[in-house]
Amino acid sequence: MTSLTNSAAPEAHFVFRQFFLKATRLAGRVLTSLAVIGAITFVFFRVFPVNATTTGFFYLVAILMIATAGGLVESTIASIAAMLCFNYFFLPPIGTLTVADPQNWVALFAFLATSLIASQLSARAKRRTKEAIARQHEVERLYSLSRSLLLTEPTRPMPKQIVQSISQAFEFPAVALYDRSNDQVYRAAEGDLTELDTRLREAALRSTLGDGASGFTIVPIRLGGQPIGSLAIRDSSLSDAALQSLVNLVAIGMERAASQEAVNRAEIAKRSEELKSTLLDAIAHEFKTPLTSVKAVTTDLLSDTTNQLPQHQRELVNIADEGIDRLSKLVNDAIQLARIEGGQFQLNRGIYSPNALISAALRQMKAFVEGRTINLSISVDMPPVWVDADLIQMVITHLLDNALKYSPSGTPIAINATSRNGRVIICVADRGPGIGEAEQARIFEKFYRGKTDRSLKGFGMGLAIAREIISAHGEQIWVASGLGKGSEFCFSLPVAQEGAATNEHR
Amino acid sequence: MSTGRILVIDDDPQIRRAMRASLTARDYQVTDARTGEEGLEKLRSGTYDLVLLDMNMPGMGGIEACRLIRSGSEVAIIMLTVSNTEKDKVNALDAGADDYVTKPFSLPELLARIRATLRRLPQPASHTDLSGLASKGVEIDLSSRQASVRGHASHLTAREFDLLSYFLARPNKTIVHRELLQAVWGPDYGDELEYLRVFVNRLRKKIEPDPSKPQFLLTDAWAGYRFHLPQ
Repeated sequence: MTSLTNSAAPEAHFVFRQFFLKATRLAGRVLTSLAVIGAITFVFFRVFPVNATTTGFFYLVAILMIATAGGLVESTIASIAAMLCFNYFFLPPIGTLTVADPQNWVALFAFLATSLIASQLSARAKRRTKEAIARQHEVERLYSLSRSLLLTEPTRPMPKQIVQSISQAFEFPAVALYDRSNDQVYRAAEGDLTELDTRLREAALRSTLGDGASGFTIVPIRLGGQPIGSLAIRDSSLSDAALQSLVNLVAIGMERAASQEAVNRAEIAKRSEELKSTLLDAIAHEFKTPLTSVKAVTTDLLSDTTNQLPQHQRELVNIADEGIDRLSKLVNDAIQLARIEGGQFQLNRGIYSPNALISAALRQMKAFVEGRTINLSISVDMPPVWVDADLIQMVITHLLDNALKYSPSGTPIAINATSRNGRVIICVADRGPGIGEAEQARIFEKFYRGKTDRSLKGFGMGLAIAREIISAHGEQIWVASGLGKGSEFCFSLPVAQEGAATNEHR
Repeated sequence: MSTGRILVIDDDPQIRRAMRASLTARDYQVTDARTGEEGLEKLRSGTYDLVLLDMNMPGMGGIEACRLIRSGSEVAIIMLTVSNTEKDKVNALDAGADDYVTKPFSLPELLARIRATLRRLPQPASHTDLSGLASKGVEIDLSSRQASVRGHASHLTAREFDLLSYFLARPNKTIVHRELLQAVWGPDYGDELEYLRVFVNRLRKKIEPDPSKPQFLLTDAWAGYRFHLPQ
């Protein structure tokens, strides 16, 4: 209750003061006009006595001037006063308020009519001028608003800047802007305006003009027929046209902010992707440089054709060499996973023959494949596929690596490629212990490594990486297996369309 | 007896030491440089048969160094790359490298590449009639390894020259990818289609009047390449 009276009291006081000021000004103007009439009466009655007609004309001119300068009230009062003075001092019988000659009635009505018509005309002209000035002000303010909207700083939230620009340009006591895209209300006002929020939301949703309760004008903001927010202004004296222009400006400003933000977001995503890529390249380089010198040393020692290395030393170098291979594979896997993770990797597609992809993968795995039988079965008339070659080679090497790891060293591994219904299916099969049905669903998860053998090397990321890559191509990867039956991993690839062969012969 | 002079350009001292030890043991004369700039300096003051060039180096970097070396010399270049991506391989070859090896590499593999790169093919049979080319404004001088298109002369690198010679000895006949790779690069090759793509493009830039619309060195999609020799 107290808060209500507190907030109401200053308002009443304000209205009263306004009224008082207005009344004082009017009283001043009435007194001035009465003084003018009095002065004319005095001059022509006492100083330069002239005939009644001349005096009448002077009264008429004075009333005309008062009506033009002032308003209807003072000119009406002045014409009554003039009529009374004219009658009393100049029309016979002088000194009385009776009118003997009916012609004098005509003079009296002429005074009144002149004052009425002149004051009407002047009031209208004044109103027009005032309106024109107001329009001009509105246009100037709209112009300054549009300029400040153009000069907004990209670092600060745009709706906040819009609200501040409006309140500065138009000098409204309170402005609130509701942005539908993030469901936020931005305010520029002293005091609490939270009770407005629901009404702003309603106005934006229903796209209707809100009610003007408690001195607020609420307007929906639309762009291309879509409601994008709403605006509340306290004590808006704007014309409808100006209000509409203001709302249009705000709509354009908000749209500009939204598109700016989209551009910024894309830019940030691009930069962080670039940063990630640079970082990964640096890590790859830093890890692989020492590996390179060690690998050169071990392989040089092992390539010793003259057999100068005693058997046990050869075995030791072999162990070191295998360790290097494993380490460099781990580095590769970790970098690949980091690159692929988050799904934000770009496919660099081209047209490739499945043959070339499989043999490239086999070449990469040469060190690991040694001593194992690989049965290749690829039909001769294989259609070319539309894929990212590096990534698909990676999938094949991961499947091959898995098959090598999870099957006994004496058993063969089969790779076959077939084409079926516009797809190429590549399968890698081993004769390992197989995978139980319950486990089959989980093997494509990250860091999952099979229950049977915990001692296996690796992060358990190969199948997760493979799945990410294949689904990025819009294709499938699956496993067919049973305990004791070995495992066959297959994935599909899209066949290159005729006419897409821009990439030359590949 | 030396089998060749090799300049190793790599910023990593361990790799330089390992290369020096291993290559010297195989009778190569080895000089090393720590940066691309230093390597270029050494190339200006001495003669080398082959450059082993690291792709990722501080300073100008391997690709830029390769381009600069290639602009003034036909020395054989093998690029050492960290990444195994197609883009990096093609970048290396496009910059003028003859071959690349991905780090970490095994020494026998590197030695095989070095031997293949230094290996010269026997001179092609000189009876191939090149007057049909000359009538189209293209002159190929096999003895000086020069090609000129409408008076604009360019020098061919050894590998480009070998590839062109192989084509010229078998005109108007499709040569499959594998045959080309094994004949020109060596028996260890066969699947490196990106080599052919890049080297054929490099040749086209030197012998075709309009490299984007080749008239002589033609692609037979999915099979190989064919040299069309006008009569």
